[in-house]
Amino acid sequence: MIGVWAVELGLFVLVVAALLAERPIAVGLTVAAIGILLLAARTSPRLWGWVATAFRTHRAAALAGAAVLALALPFFLRASPYWTFVATMALIYVTIGQGLNVQMGTAGVINLAGAAFAGLGGYTVGLLTVRLGFAPWLAFAIGPLVAMVVGALLFIPILKVRGHYLALVTIAFGFIFNILMNNLEFTGGPQGIKNIPTLRLFGHAFTTAPTLFGVTLPSHANFYYAALAMAALVTWLAWRLYNSWVGLTLNTLRDDEIAAKCSGVSVTRHKLLAFSIGNLFVGLAGAFYAVMVGFVSPPDFDFGYSLVMLSVVILGGLDSIPGVVLGACLLIPLPERFRMLHEYRLLLYGAAIVLMLLFRPRGLWPAGVRRYGLGSPAGSFGAAGTRAEGVGVSR
Amino acid sequence: MPPLEVILQQAFNGLMLGVMYALIAVGFTLFFGVLDVIHFSHGDIFTLGAFAGLSLTFLWAAVGIGNPAVALLLTFLGALVLTGLIGVAAERACVKPLAKAPPLMTLLATLSLGLVIREAILIFYPRGADPKPFPAMLPQGLFEIGGVVIRYENLAILAIAGVAMVLVDLIINRTRVGASMRAVAQDAEAAQMMGVNLNRTVDFTFFLGSALAAVAGILNGLYYSEIHFIMGIMGGIIGFSAAAIGGLGNVYGAILGGLLFGVLQTLAAAFIPRGSEFRDVVAFAVVMVFMVFKPTGILGEKTIERV
Amino acid sequence: MSLFATRGLTVRFGGLTAVDHVDAGVEEGETLGLIGPNGSGKTTFFNAVTGLVPATGEVVFRGAPLPGLEPHQICRRGIARTFQASRLCLGLSVFDNVLIGMHTHVRCGLLEALFRRARMLSEVRQALKQAAHLLSLFNADLVDRGFDPVGALPQIDRRRVEICRALAAQPRLLLLDEPSAGMSPEETVELMKDLQIVREEMPGLSIIIIEHDMFVIEGVSRRVVAFNYGRKIAEGTFAEVARNEEVREAYLGRGSGTEGSARA
Repeated sequence: MIGVWAVELGLFVLVVAALLAERPIAVGLTVAAIGILLLAARTSPRLWGWVATAFRTHRAAALAGAAVLALALPFFLRASPYWTFVATMALIYVTIGQGLNVQMGTAGVINLAGAAFAGLGGYTVGLLTVRLGFAPWLAFAIGPLVAMVVGALLFIPILKVRGHYLALVTIAFGFIFNILMNNLEFTGGPQGIKNIPTLRLFGHAFTTAPTLFGVTLPSHANFYYAALAMAALVTWLAWRLYNSWVGLTLNTLRDDEIAAKCSGVSVTRHKLLAFSIGNLFVGLAGAFYAVMVGFVSPPDFDFGYSLVMLSVVILGGLDSIPGVVLGACLLIPLPERFRMLHEYRLLLYGAAIVLMLLFRPRGLWPAGVRRYGLGSPAGSFGAAGTRAEGVGVSR
Repeated sequence: MPPLEVILQQAFNGLMLGVMYALIAVGFTLFFGVLDVIHFSHGDIFTLGAFAGLSLTFLWAAVGIGNPAVALLLTFLGALVLTGLIGVAAERACVKPLAKAPPLMTLLATLSLGLVIREAILIFYPRGADPKPFPAMLPQGLFEIGGVVIRYENLAILAIAGVAMVLVDLIINRTRVGASMRAVAQDAEAAQMMGVNLNRTVDFTFFLGSALAAVAGILNGLYYSEIHFIMGIMGGIIGFSAAAIGGLGNVYGAILGGLLFGVLQTLAAAFIPRGSEFRDVVAFAVVMVFMVFKPTGILGEKTIERV
Repeated sequence: MSLFATRGLTVRFGGLTAVDHVDAGVEEGETLGLIGPNGSGKTTFFNAVTGLVPATGEVVFRGAPLPGLEPHQICRRGIARTFQASRLCLGLSVFDNVLIGMHTHVRCGLLEALFRRARMLSEVRQALKQAAHLLSLFNADLVDRGFDPVGALPQIDRRRVEICRALAAQPRLLLLDEPSAGMSPEETVELMKDLQIVREEMPGLSIIIIEHDMFVIEGVSRRVVAFNYGRKIAEGTFAEVARNEEVREAYLGRGSGTEGSARA
């Protein structure tokens, strides 16, 4: 257990050092150190075996440790509102990634309009609060629902067509969304919607710098903690979904639609379910983004971002819930840390996806076998046990 | 109701767009027919074709080839071959290795390859972010017939596109390699047993499709007098849409779908209020209607699903 | 009245008639063998019955008509099947592949998955036990490897998992599409034993089995139907059908003279 915490703490210190380092050489050294450590752990079976076993046996402790460190992060980044903001963006992408992962990873339903669904969530918040005077929290709750419902309306007519048409329809939808937002009057055209009111919790506005334990943090820390709660909630829901009948059913229809049908699965219903849940999560992240930055405009939700969202899932590992978290936490901060790479960002994302798909199609953190959270080692449902109980099959 | 000649004029303009879309769509439909894949970087191959053409015009100017007809011919030939080979390289890199993987993987890989191509043009082509002027290499001038203005340039574009389509038709239906393509499209395994070289056939298909995209790219440059690194996104989506409307796997369907899409877009731009902004919305709405009511397209899709 | 019967079942693909007015049926607890040369419409017959391809004609199962139903609805009525080319999810675990067969009996849905975990987990535990029991009928090792991906198993065990998946649906009628396809003679012998186990454990289950291997057919089914060119050309005991002139021609005589008579 101590070992698990030591590993987590060590990684945390290195990451914070890498983020806050100012001289390029320090940045390079810390990032290289993280890379070398991870690589060493991954290439040495003994080391990796030890780490993997330790984290598996002390899973609760590992999660608790990670939670404490995640909660502590803003204190270490308090000198830099910018990095607090970047960390928050990573958490927003965790939320988006989990949504896309339910669709593409678990159910194999392609969605190339992630940015547009996030935009639906964001624009709904903007329109409802600024144009119609809704309470911010109410608008924030409605945003994701709009993304979900619009997605379902788009999806229902094309449920029966083959997968590549869905790719076409979602791309087309993404462009239509952008064209409409750019040209409609009530969405503010290219300028978008400004001055979206911020959220308040127990009278505390999210724009006021919070003071915790006598330490004043940058105001972005509010959003960091809110995003942490959102990402944790969504990841938790995604984990439960994956480790359930629903996850199994979605996996089956992804792998073999005909076999799924002949096992009694209503393919259309389950595809719709996966698509809707995914868009709900993505829309939630979009609504959050709108509230955080206080405005929405078309370029925030263009096709390029849909591809970035895709990269998060593929890099981390399709169908892998921890993989999505890893993917977002790598892909979002890295180009910010290496500003000289910023120009090459999309090029590198694209190349990274291609290389991942060719050489490591299951991602950096591949999905494991589904154990339904029973935590039981293989064989506990062994033959000996069941023969004694004599569970009957249909006669 | 607008006067007839206005409608005809717009339809003619739409035809210009339509033939370019059709050339892209034929690529999509060929790849799908032969390999059952959607090659999502095809739109960016189209951009690449245009940039290859543009670079070649500079080259010919630099080496002193003054005759516009010769320069034009060499531009086409060079860009065709170059883009065709890049298309084959794309297939070898991103399509063939994933042939056994779920279709989603090919889709994502080619989509990302498109992103790489697009960004590479943006970053590595000199001042790649700006629209690039494309030299006018076709005969200028115009005449009028029944109130419809027709430019010689446009006729030349139609003629070039027409020749390209006829050539493709001849290649597919009259040559050995075309016969191999048709055989693989029907049943790859059986074709192989009958002695068809699968790899060569697939390579050729991607060469042909990509070369057609290069033709479309250069025509696009000649028509609009400029090209831009992001034109492949829309070009690709529209080409795919056109192929889908026509019926994936069917070459004539792709041509029909391309023409239909071009005419539709132009008419929408001309006759719907603020249509130039919403023309893509209208066109895509039509695509969606097709997906709902006739997902196999006008001429039907090849569907082989083994149980 | 038989459990399952078709009357005039016909499947057309364009100009081709793949299944041509077939009348066939199976009694409760009976095993029916389905034979015929390649392309004679046996698999298409299964596909038509399970709703994967559109067909005309009557299909009556447990006294109710099936046509017009979606494949998943037909499964709910109590027909399960296997496929000639295995259709397992190779990346999923052995248990998962069997558990999906229980889909129609699962009570817990999204709500339980997200918010009523205890209820869902007890159902999953029950299902895992049942899966383990089914697997152990054929090969106890499969239970120990229950959380391994199916892709890691040898061919024969994959076939067993597929049969377990079909049995997990607790069907009244089981359609086996050439289970011995791609197996060695030794594995085929094993498979026959497996089928006998199914027969003994589930005496009430009706089975229709497509087989090329006459040894398997003779071993497991008392009654046999023979197909050729989509039509039923013979029906009876194995010995009767094996003696039938038209069947012999369909299998052996493919010369110019005999083909005409086989069509006639």
